[in-house]
Amino acid sequence: MFNRADIIDEGFKRRVTALDLPEITPPLSHTQLGLSAKTLVDWFDTQIMSRQLDLMARRTKGETFYSIGSAGHEGLAAIATASRLTDMAFLHYRDAAFVIQRRKSVVGSTPLYDMALSFSASSEDPVSGGRHKVLGGADIYVPPQTSTIASHLPKAVGAAHSICLTSKTGLEHPLPSDSVILCSFGDASSNHSTAQGAINAACWAAYQNSPMPIVFICEDNDIGISVRTPRGWIEQNYKNRPSLGYIQCDGRNLLSVYAGATSAITTARNRRKPVFLHVKTVRLAGHAGADIEMRYTDMAAIEANESRDPLLVTAALLIENNILTADEILNRYNTMAARVERVAQTAFTRPKLSTAKDITAPITPPEIAFEDTPSLPSLIQHKALFAQDSTQVSRPSNMARQIGYALTDLMQHYKNAIVFGEDVARKGGVYSVTSGLLDKFGPARVMDTLLDEQTILGLAIGAAHNGFLPVPEIQFLAYLHNAEDQIRGEAATLSFFSNGQFTNPMVIRIAGLGYQRGFGGHFHNDNSINVLRDIPGLIIVCPSNGEDARRMLRTAFDLAHRERKVVIFLEPIALYMTTDLHEDGDKLWTSHYTPPQSETTLDFGIPHQHGAGKDVCILTYGNGYYLSRKAEKTLKEKHGLNLRVIDLRWLKPLNETAIVEATKACDHILIVDECRKTGSLAEELTKLLIDNGYDKPIRSVTGVDSYIPLGPAAYEVLPSVDNIINATLSLIGKGLIS
Amino acid sequence: MKKTALVICPGRGTYNKAEHGYLYRHHANQTDFIQMLDSYRACQDQITISELDQSPQFSSSLHVTGDNASSLIYGCALADFQAIDQNKIDIVGVTGNSMGWYLALAASKAVSLEDGARIVNTTGKLMHDHAQGGQIVYPIVDDNWVLSPEKQRLIDSVLSKKPDDAFIDISIKLGGILIFAANTAGLSYLQKSLPKQSPYPLKLAHHGAFHSSHVGNVVPMAQQALSVDMLSTPNLPLIDGKGRIWQPQATDLDALYDYTFGTQINSLFDYSKAVEVGIKEFAPDMIIILGPGSTLGGPTAQELIKHRWQGLKNKADFKHRQSQDPYIISMNIDEQRRRVI
Repeated sequence: MFNRADIIDEGFKRRVTALDLPEITPPLSHTQLGLSAKTLVDWFDTQIMSRQLDLMARRTKGETFYSIGSAGHEGLAAIATASRLTDMAFLHYRDAAFVIQRRKSVVGSTPLYDMALSFSASSEDPVSGGRHKVLGGADIYVPPQTSTIASHLPKAVGAAHSICLTSKTGLEHPLPSDSVILCSFGDASSNHSTAQGAINAACWAAYQNSPMPIVFICEDNDIGISVRTPRGWIEQNYKNRPSLGYIQCDGRNLLSVYAGATSAITTARNRRKPVFLHVKTVRLAGHAGADIEMRYTDMAAIEANESRDPLLVTAALLIENNILTADEILNRYNTMAARVERVAQTAFTRPKLSTAKDITAPITPPEIAFEDTPSLPSLIQHKALFAQDSTQVSRPSNMARQIGYALTDLMQHYKNAIVFGEDVARKGGVYSVTSGLLDKFGPARVMDTLLDEQTILGLAIGAAHNGFLPVPEIQFLAYLHNAEDQIRGEAATLSFFSNGQFTNPMVIRIAGLGYQRGFGGHFHNDNSINVLRDIPGLIIVCPSNGEDARRMLRTAFDLAHRERKVVIFLEPIALYMTTDLHEDGDKLWTSHYTPPQSETTLDFGIPHQHGAGKDVCILTYGNGYYLSRKAEKTLKEKHGLNLRVIDLRWLKPLNETAIVEATKACDHILIVDECRKTGSLAEELTKLLIDNGYDKPIRSVTGVDSYIPLGPAAYEVLPSVDNIINATLSLIGKGLIS
Repeated sequence: MKKTALVICPGRGTYNKAEHGYLYRHHANQTDFIQMLDSYRACQDQITISELDQSPQFSSSLHVTGDNASSLIYGCALADFQAIDQNKIDIVGVTGNSMGWYLALAASKAVSLEDGARIVNTTGKLMHDHAQGGQIVYPIVDDNWVLSPEKQRLIDSVLSKKPDDAFIDISIKLGGILIFAANTAGLSYLQKSLPKQSPYPLKLAHHGAFHSSHVGNVVPMAQQALSVDMLSTPNLPLIDGKGRIWQPQATDLDALYDYTFGTQINSLFDYSKAVEVGIKEFAPDMIIILGPGSTLGGPTAQELIKHRWQGLKNKADFKHRQSQDPYIISMNIDEQRRRVI
């Protein structure tokens, strides 16, 4: 009674034998759709391969993992035929049939064996290398998804948007310019805010006639684990969205799916509009292997659902159209069962990942060939680019301007770079960092987005899939948090779960940290970056001054382009406009802009050291470096202390060797960390120093575990020059200043 | 319980002196089939395969030339196929090497035995009369049958320096062996440039530059002589020389025709890929190589070693496995043959 998989298996055989098959309504013939009988048989083969894989997974616990299956959703095979191989597909985890069918179009591929390797987490699995049972492959334009909560929708929208930008770059991109993006998900996960945001963004773009060639495929099986989707909810929810086409089809009937998908894809391709393809299907054998449906559904309903098995509909189509007899269908079904079992048993013997080193290898994506790096434009080209601003550029400038100038040069250098975010184009950014970019590079490369960080990051991920080098801006660090999963769960994991086949390099500019006087309060002064610091493979860069910022931004682009990394470029807002260090008008926090043709790049990971004193070493970054430089002057002049102040610059990964080397000769170490105390970088640095044998006093000055309040009170919860001086004096045993 | 098997049909060059008399030695009882072949040949004013098989002496000029070898091998292989005891062996897929593709079509009933005979005879004759150039064999594995990157680099280097008048392309990927198709200048260049490693580089006698654009002239002739009407859906999964699987009742016959009398003739035949797809997608208990000859055994084993199939890592592993419980059954080897008939 509990083993519904076996009951479904037996039910199919019994009903085909008895010719107890569903009536096909409305009648639809393959010839009406221009399809051959052999296509229908081929789809049936795909469906039964997918089904037998699911059945196999249910009976091989311990050999296979992650038993969530595709049973009931096998109609998706027809969408693989209705689409082109190069129509990139971001798939729901129940779409094995789509993947099998699409992979069949790649001559010489081995879809069954590959799938069996994936089920058994073998290191030879060509998709993830044994890291997860994911559906995908570079050869079939299916980036693997682990998403169970529709977090892949924003990047699908991003990829769709990017397709229409390719004609403007003059470069080759992976996706043809008439491609369509396919993106599938379940009815339950369509309720997720990420899905809602992505669909909203697609409508927002299409509503203003921005091209958006995407088909959202909602596989509506009426239930999400145990919670029923209200009757009619999906239809009512999506039928009347602005600029969103809506097509419904019977997911149990391959011909209906093919007709619906063909119509949806044609519309998306020809009209460049988003379409919502509502595929009404069933979920068979529960949510996953461990899910016992009887705990939340009565037996009559379970059996009624099972009687709606789409394989029975296909059998009916084959028999009614005199393509196969019942015996031939059963023979095919049983032959496939035996074949899947043999292939699976073989796959189980293949090697597994066995060391952390091997498991983590693709967190560092494979570098691209040196010759694929664009050559630096000439100085003449640089000058031509800045012809209108030459006077301004020649003057000493603050960090905001240096970043803007560097971005300008970088966009000339990397023709695939695109800048986008809230207010970055026409307004030039809240702090004018991106001012002038729109005029120089046009609306295809510098774009204002809608107000949704998930969409901004999704656009970055999707565009990166299509060969762009995205440079999204998150306007304030606090705004990152509702979209953080786009980095944590999606961008940062792509190389890992695809074993390096797919990468989504990007430089995410985030304006953040405290101390700014213009906008007050927490939401414009957020000082927590912990949410980023534990993400494997992510790089976090934080400049403290204009010269470093321009050079580090160039390094960040190189890391993204050449090493395929996701880079966070964290810009301390309070230092954007800062010009003076010790006294008003000293201009010590400004510098002349030097173009990339006239200075070397700044090596990744190398900290900056100011001074060579050994009494105290201050380890810090961002605003903390600025404050520490002020404190250092006082400590030297008033207290005779010789310090060295180290600007870490690269916050993740920390250059442990350089930090240990720079600190080992010092008698004391003070860590100045402007972020909140708990889980702080200060803690990580302290541990690093102790682990490496540093046995002299270490102290830290950090932000308080608080949110940043408005007005002057803000400074009470952040490190200050006085805090730093006092902590230093305390550290060396001298009296405190008042 | 039946054992499952992938069946492999042999190509040209598998009926040599040692195999002389193979047909009657093993298949004297298959009189109808042999008689059908003989009648067809007689109608074409060609020497019958019975006469060839039973001739007093083996002669290269008689038995190895395309017009005779093709039919002779067809007869032996298809007779072997029919001799497999399907009460104990479940054939889960069929493939072949080079000309073996035509045999595979017949074995899977994608063409009748009669049409299969017509195809091999016609294409064999066309190649004999019109194919230019030749083939050269060179290994890419070491003595242990493990792929040698060094040899591959060497070959790449030789190919990168070929003279302008030389046509050279890869004709067949055959496990640990590459077979090059070349014109006269190309053959001469390869023989001179590839380091000697007896017997390689080995030029195949009476072979043209098969599976390359250099024999593209044969395509229209083959298509004129052989029509799509002779094809029907196979009754077994068929794996072609690109690794594509043609499934019963799901095969597009026009596409199968285009492949068989187009792509298959004028582009690479990837036997290695066919074997890879066969073992991975059907996971057979054994591989049966039809006679005559057993020369495909080595290349097939090398492909298995490449994928570490059945735990095989090198030639010694393979030899050991074969001595205990052979995974590859060559019907040309009596002890192995007995296991499947």
